[in-house]
Parts: sequence; structure tokens; C-alpha cells
Amino acid sequence: MMEQIITQASSYAAQIDNVIHLIAAIVGVWLAVAFYVFFSFIFKYTRKRHPKAAYITGETHEDGKWVHRAHFVVIACDVVILVFAAMAWHHVKQQLPPAEATIRIVGQQWAWKFTDPGLDNQLDTVDDINTIDELHVKVNTVYHFKLEAKDVLHSFSVPVFRLKQDAIPGRVITGWFKPTKTGEYDIQCAEMCGIGHGVMAAKIVVETPEAHAAWLEQHKSQNITQNIKTKNLKKLAINK
Amino acid sequence: MKLVFTLAFLLSTTTFAKSRGEELFNLCMSCHGQQGYGNHKVGAPAIAGLPKWYITKQLTIFASGGRGKHPDDDAGNRMRPMARTLTPEDIKDVADYVSILKPQTPEKTLHGDLEKGKALFVVCAACHGQNGDGNEVLHAPTLKISNDWYLVTQLKNFKNKIRGADAVTDAFGATMSPMAATLPDEEAMKNVITYVQSLKQ
Repeated sequence: MMEQIITQASSYAAQIDNVIHLIAAIVGVWLAVAFYVFFSFIFKYTRKRHPKAAYITGETHEDGKWVHRAHFVVIACDVVILVFAAMAWHHVKQQLPPAEATIRIVGQQWAWKFTDPGLDNQLDTVDDINTIDELHVKVNTVYHFKLEAKDVLHSFSVPVFRLKQDAIPGRVITGWFKPTKTGEYDIQCAEMCGIGHGVMAAKIVVETPEAHAAWLEQHKSQNITQNIKTKNLKKLAINK
Repeated sequence: MKLVFTLAFLLSTTTFAKSRGEELFNLCMSCHGQQGYGNHKVGAPAIAGLPKWYITKQLTIFASGGRGKHPDDDAGNRMRPMARTLTPEDIKDVADYVSILKPQTPEKTLHGDLEKGKALFVVCAACHGQNGDGNEVLHAPTLKISNDWYLVTQLKNFKNKIRGADAVTDAFGATMSPMAATLPDEEAMKNVITYVQSLKQ
């Protein structure tokens, strides 16, 4: 259902969608029951048929069971939702699979900046590739990201990955994703961060290994010169 | 009587209605301040009274990605999305308004070597003029109403190819870039800007 609305492009997107489906189904059933009771009572207990209303205090067991039993079923439904939500949380946030590559993502008013580890696949080395507004990743590769914020709170949101992670100044937050579908997708800041929040967007380009290698090659030389020139590495080393 | 009312109405709207440029300036105010005098804390320079052609040009370059797109240009990264929200018509209107704001002499924050700076300024004077008044024909803006910290940052950006690296997207920035490269280090940049500061008196 969700996939028809917005594509699933990460390994855990389906699991998160399933939690959303589960919640929608359970809440949907209860909504249907509530509406059925509501409208059938309106019909059944019209003034014509029941001119005098009964006053029920709910103190007797017979009266109370209609409230208590429903409560127990609601709690049971909550537990089911919690179990599936906790499983998804554990998979997405707690249990990080080993990284095949690690990137750095920095949010600042009002831009997303990305550091790709380059050909040596190591961050903070001379061949790192720094980009703004555009993150290039390889399909079917497990990426760890080190998320930072330079100034205020931001939130790194990639809807097609079902990924949303707050970025907090002073903290380096590690997370992961594994893109499963090539294409160009939206990144948007999802935490109010000032006057330019609405335009703090970027693109994530999920590409085939060949296309990614070509991109790395294309950006290799210019970034090495730039890294040395602006002493990016030194700055990053101090930040670490 | 009708005529009097009509005239009064017209007069009131022309007197009190904000121009479109003034309305758009609300966006700029959050960083550049109510009077456009800038805010060092967020890297926003003074813009009040800058020439209209220069504001138009810079906003256009920001919007098209010729400036403020380098990952090391923090302040430019903040400015670029703001410029991208403006249409060419908006840019014209807001540039109109900012250019008529009364400039002020920015506060001195640098104390470099004036004599050394004067010698270095010879290169700058070729385009920006002996008094740093700027020259529209050469696309060189005035230096007199810009903050000294801002000018030093821009010299560093030009030298490190953070600004003006691409002649296609920022042709005039690209002419400034090799000029900034003639300054050997930050010390020299501070000296030359200290001299620029002295021109303001």
C-alpha cells in the first residue's frame, strides 16, 4: 500500500512500511467497530423507541465488562504494535550491519554537505570527495553515516529509504542504510532549523557500481587539490 | 468631495504602502539586520547601500549556483538557498531597495600593517579604484562599506577557489580569483584590508 504512494528504496523500507500497515489495520478495525456501534445505537435508541434513557453507573460487574473487556483487547493490540515496532527499531537503529563504506553527512543552515571516502574507502584521507546538495551512493551497499550538525538541530530525511535521523550540534550520530533501487531521490531537512528550512533540500543519487566508479574517478583529482588547499583534513582531524 | 477622498486615498497608499523590495527585504533582515548593517556572528556582511548592479549580479550568481555552492563556504551556503527563493523580478526589486539604504562605516576589527597594505593595494586599485570606490564598468564593487572581516574571508575564498573558481558560472569572480592568489598569506590579506579600512575615513 505504502509502496504505491512512495517507492521503497532501502533494505529496511518494507519492514517500516509493514509496521505502518499493521498500525493502520488495527486502528482501522477499531475505527470500523466504533463507527458501527455509534451509528447502530443512534438508529436503535431513537426517542421513538426508547423515550426514557437509562442511567447506568457502570458499578456492577455486568455493566463494567463492556468497558474492561474492550480495554484488554486494546492493550493486546498495543502490545502487538509495540513488538513489531521494537523489532523494526532494533533492526534500523540498534543493530548496525558491518559497513562496506562510511560517509559523513553534515547539516548546516541551509545545506547538506557530504563526504565520500573516495577510492581508498577511508574517511579523512586526501582523496575524500566533498559535495554539497548531492550524495552519490552505490546500490546494494551497506553505508554507515556519521551525521553532524554545524549550528542548530537538523533532521536528515530520505523518504524513499524510510530514514529520518535528527542531527544534533556537538554530537556525531552513526546510522546506516542499504540502497536497493537505483535512481535520484529527495533528501529534505525534517527539523525546523530557521528561515531557510523549507529550501534545505538535497538529492541522493543511487547508482550502479560502474556509474559510481565513474563518478569517483571524475571527482578524484579536483578534490585532492582542494582538500590540500583548504586544509580540510586538518580541520576534520581536529573535529574528530 | 469625492475627488478629495480619492486623492487622500491615493496619497495614503503611496506614502505608507511598502514597496515590493522592502517587503522582500524582510527575508534578508533575519541575517543582515534591520538596516542591512550585517551580523558578524552568522557571517552576514553589511549590504546597505551596495550598488544595485552588484547586488543584482551576486544574487543572480548565488541563485544559479555560481557562488555559495562550495562545501567550505559556510556563509555562502546559507545565502544560496535564500537567493534561490527569489525570481529575477524579485532580485531586481530587492536590489533596488537595498541600494538606497543608508550605508554606515563598518566597525574596525583588524589591525594589520597599514604601510605594507598600501603597497599591496596597488593591485586592487587597478579595478576597485585608488579610493576603493569601485568601478561598474570593470564589475568591481566598492570596498568602502564592506566589513573588514568579510573582505578577508572573501579574499581567502577567492584564493582557495571556494569563490570564483568557475569562469562559466561566475565570470567576474573568476577575474578576482587570480588577483587574490597574489596575496601570499592571511597576514598579507589583513594588511591590505587594514589599508582599505583607512580609506573609509
